[in-house]
Amino acid sequence: MDLQARHLLDKCCTTDLSWISKIQVNQPAVLRRAEQIQARRTVKKEWQAAWLLKAVTCIDLTSLSGDDTFSSIQRLCYKAKYPIREDLLKALHMYDEGITTAAVCVYPARVCDAVKALKAAGCDIPVASVATGFPAAQTHLQTRLEEIRLAVEDGATEIDVVINRTLVLTGQWEALYDEIRQFRQACGEAHLKTILAAGELGCLTNVYKASMLAMMAGSDFIKTSTGKETVNATFPVAIVMLRAIRDFFWKTGNKVGFKPAGGIRTAKDALTWLSLIKEELGDEWLKPELFRIGASSLLSDIERQIYHHVTGRYPANHDLPMS
Amino acid sequence: MAANPAGPSAREIFSTLEYGPAPESHACALAWLDTQDRLLGHYVNGKWLKPEHGNSVPCQDPVTGENLASCLLGEPDDVAAAVKAALAALGSWSRVPGGDRAQHLTRLAKMIQRNQQLLWTLDSLFTGRVVREVRDGDIPLAQQLLQYHAVQGHVQEEVLAGWKPMGVIGLILPPTFSFLEMMWRICPALAVGCTVVAIVPPASPTPLLLAQLAGELGAFCGILNVIIGPASLGAALGCCPGVRKVAFCGAVEEARVLRQSLAGQRLELSLALGVESLMLLTDSADIDSAVEGVVDAAWSDRSPGGLRLLVQESVWEETMKRLQTRMGKLRSGQGLDGAVDMGTRGAAACDAAQRYVQEARSQGAEVFQAVPVSSASPFYPPTLVSGLPPASPCAQSEVPWPLVMASPFRTAKEALVVANSTPWGGSASVWSERLGQALELGYGLQVGTVWVNTHGLKDPAVPTGGCKESGSSWHGGPDGLYEYLQPLGAADRLPFVYEHLNYDSFGLAVPKTLPAGPETGPSPVPPYGLFVGGRFQPPGAWSSRPIWDTSGQLHGYVAEGGAKDVHSAVEAAHQAASRWERQSPVARAALLVALAAALERRGADLASRLQRHGAELQAAKAEVELSTRRLRLWGAHAQAQAQGHTLQVAGLRGPVLRLREPLGVLAIVCPDAWPLLAFVSLLAPALAHGNAVVLVPSRTCPLLALEVCQDVASVFPAGLVNVVTGDGDHLTRCLALHQDVQALWYFGSAQGSQFVEWASAGNLKSVWVNWGHLRAWDQEPHGAGSELELRAARTKALWLPMGD
Repeated sequence: MDLQARHLLDKCCTTDLSWISKIQVNQPAVLRRAEQIQARRTVKKEWQAAWLLKAVTCIDLTSLSGDDTFSSIQRLCYKAKYPIREDLLKALHMYDEGITTAAVCVYPARVCDAVKALKAAGCDIPVASVATGFPAAQTHLQTRLEEIRLAVEDGATEIDVVINRTLVLTGQWEALYDEIRQFRQACGEAHLKTILAAGELGCLTNVYKASMLAMMAGSDFIKTSTGKETVNATFPVAIVMLRAIRDFFWKTGNKVGFKPAGGIRTAKDALTWLSLIKEELGDEWLKPELFRIGASSLLSDIERQIYHHVTGRYPANHDLPMS
Repeated sequence: MAANPAGPSAREIFSTLEYGPAPESHACALAWLDTQDRLLGHYVNGKWLKPEHGNSVPCQDPVTGENLASCLLGEPDDVAAAVKAALAALGSWSRVPGGDRAQHLTRLAKMIQRNQQLLWTLDSLFTGRVVREVRDGDIPLAQQLLQYHAVQGHVQEEVLAGWKPMGVIGLILPPTFSFLEMMWRICPALAVGCTVVAIVPPASPTPLLLAQLAGELGAFCGILNVIIGPASLGAALGCCPGVRKVAFCGAVEEARVLRQSLAGQRLELSLALGVESLMLLTDSADIDSAVEGVVDAAWSDRSPGGLRLLVQESVWEETMKRLQTRMGKLRSGQGLDGAVDMGTRGAAACDAAQRYVQEARSQGAEVFQAVPVSSASPFYPPTLVSGLPPASPCAQSEVPWPLVMASPFRTAKEALVVANSTPWGGSASVWSERLGQALELGYGLQVGTVWVNTHGLKDPAVPTGGCKESGSSWHGGPDGLYEYLQPLGAADRLPFVYEHLNYDSFGLAVPKTLPAGPETGPSPVPPYGLFVGGRFQPPGAWSSRPIWDTSGQLHGYVAEGGAKDVHSAVEAAHQAASRWERQSPVARAALLVALAAALERRGADLASRLQRHGAELQAAKAEVELSTRRLRLWGAHAQAQAQGHTLQVAGLRGPVLRLREPLGVLAIVCPDAWPLLAFVSLLAPALAHGNAVVLVPSRTCPLLALEVCQDVASVFPAGLVNVVTGDGDHLTRCLALHQDVQALWYFGSAQGSQFVEWASAGNLKSVWVNWGHLRAWDQEPHGAGSELELRAARTKALWLPMGD
């Protein structure tokens, strides 16, 4: 969303709760659709390689561990810059396409490390920071807002905030809207990615309502989960969120991005996510500006598959550089 | 590896993100065809039958038009040979213990599992359906069907005691879904001990392959025989002695022809017709999920026909927008491609779709297709037709594949009226998040299957069938088993003697009433009227016929009913039907018991009347007593029979209800013998199951039934029971040709039975005739068995998935 559009939205968009009051989500039907979507599309050969490279460019390469240090963040950043071995990209005639991951995603305290490492690597991959009491959001609003401001000051250009589940479960939708509005303002120029923690919202209808409110409050992305809950990015949740994104687009003309995160580990999963986006939203969403995958180990599996596609052999662990 | 000389490079795909081809190899299907020298014959008695004289037709790949093989077309001789083999196999197959049959079916299920890849590639290659549906849908379901029915075979001796297998079953299959339709029918038939001759249209070799797999199990070779030929070959089954039942699955018009040609041949005919499905989308539905339901129902190669979609007006715009957006994402392509939603069904199906679309356009309909129709392409695009009110001619014909015909409704009540006003009664889904509304619609729809918030689920344990012109036969679940069983003691099919019957004149003339001769006896009796609408009425023709007792004395006069009287009786019955249907079983039972009590009070009078018609005093008393017992028995049945029971389904969270619903207006032509007992034994189960009835009592002695009506008038609501007296053949003709009678039971002459069967082709009402056999009404299985219970109601399956 460009700045002008955002200002326009700031002025005109109010909490029109009628957008979420009538919504019906039938869980067994969504589950059935989720099963189908995994069996109805497949890509092979060249198509598979090209789709996997597209998936790479949509990855938010993530490290959210208690033992992260400068060196581990530096390794992460260099892997983000060089996600696939050069010779493999050359074989696919993709070397000059500038294939990098979409962003690196770290804790607020590691933003400086990431900015520094990326600068040293000579690239402008954005740094995303989680914030607002990640992952539980059970801290005071004041400190949550301050966390955003500090991360932005440190150089994060994307902020992954996590919503207050208490407000959802107690039905305080307007309060939730107000909180996300404040996050939006605290972000300033940085992109706001709102994590719904769908596994803790109780039901799919709440997932739809939270998605819609997060978009109405000005989120640039909505994101499934923190990766720290027991339920991660699942297809049923994604289907409901994508339908909300489409409805919001039809109502306002604004395209909001989608980011599944947590539990996406295999190249096959990545392909299914891409086809899910293509089917539910369309090709225009299949770019890093509107689609991200939050993952850490996914990249190495994709690299393995591309190695196999190019050479016809499966690689040993030491054939591919670690992150 | 990375080189891809023909197609786009990875670099190009990276920017377009298109889908590429993802073909599955069909080498194994071609290899199997080569084992047949690319000439498919019939499979009879465990061997291939390829008569040299036979005509053959080419079978083409529906996408490329490439010749895959030729198919021999069956002749009546081939059918006769197959029936002979099936009859020979019947002796051993029907006599082995159920457990052995179960084991054989389980072995066949494993055989399917071992050869599943061949089965799915062959099916997809010839039919053009997407391989995903065959692989993930049909093949697993086929195995589940075999396993479910193997279990039923195991417990047959205990659970189905009192029933025996019918004999040889003739099966006539449609060109689409022939494999699955065959599995639904052969599994129960084989499980209970019948043997099968299936007639399969050319260009669908999967049933042949299945028969070969079954034949290769070694034992019991002739239990499954497959002949290739058109549906019209089915008439040949009637001429083969030994065939006890013909199960037809296909088009309505073919069914009418078959029904007429098999009339009087003393075999049962069960029909499963029509391909259209129905969907009701209310304003409280999850519309996005309902749109996926439409895709399941019409645009994913899951169902044979099109969809009639009724959408509440308040969400009409919203629904159309979402449907059209979704249609833009559907992909058609080669059936063996792993990334397409829809394959093709061949040129004939595309032509039928195109004809419907053109006709709809000419009648002012809006037609939406995301991809334009191209005569060069073998694929017909998903199509949404709207703006055809019910009165437009196009809206009255069946919606073909792959079309969705959408129309709006205002209220749920109106939706029910619109939905029930089509001649079809197959399956429907209801989309509503309000439980009460969903159940109201589910119970109210006149169809065989209702899914709530889902569409097209199938399970071996759930009976699937229909009503109205979709035919009234069942497969799956307990109902499917009874289709191939007959009560112990039922007569075998008599050697068939063809009797010419002039359908135009049968029962047409009403006999003239002449003066009855000198009235002797104690006093002149006042003539009885017709019992219609709860009271005795004079007949339309104002004439009456004399009834003589066995000593030749005048017993009384009864009204001479005619076409007009039948019409008003049916009308009265319809008016009473809906209220009676809503009565609780307890209330129905109470009234039946009240009638029994009234009969008891009238006992002496009834017995003396029976005596005048030749019964001994003891026998007459026994008949009266047994009649009252029957009323009480069915009263108890009505009470015990719950409104439905829950079925266990493997792949579904939530219950499936098996409901027993009334047939509607049931016409019964009573036998001449047992003038009181047979009348009561037929009336009681019909009422207990919620039907309204029009009865023709014994022609020789109708007075007993009319006496009972004196009490019926005071006990039952007006119009529920109607009794029309007069000439048997004439009244039978009027009832059999009546389009608004839902079912007809006939216990009379062989000619009458033949006429009833012939005439039922009109509205395809379900008929039960005795082919001139006498029935021992005083004995338990004949007079009060579960056969009557099965015949007196129809089944509906209501799927209720749960989850939040």
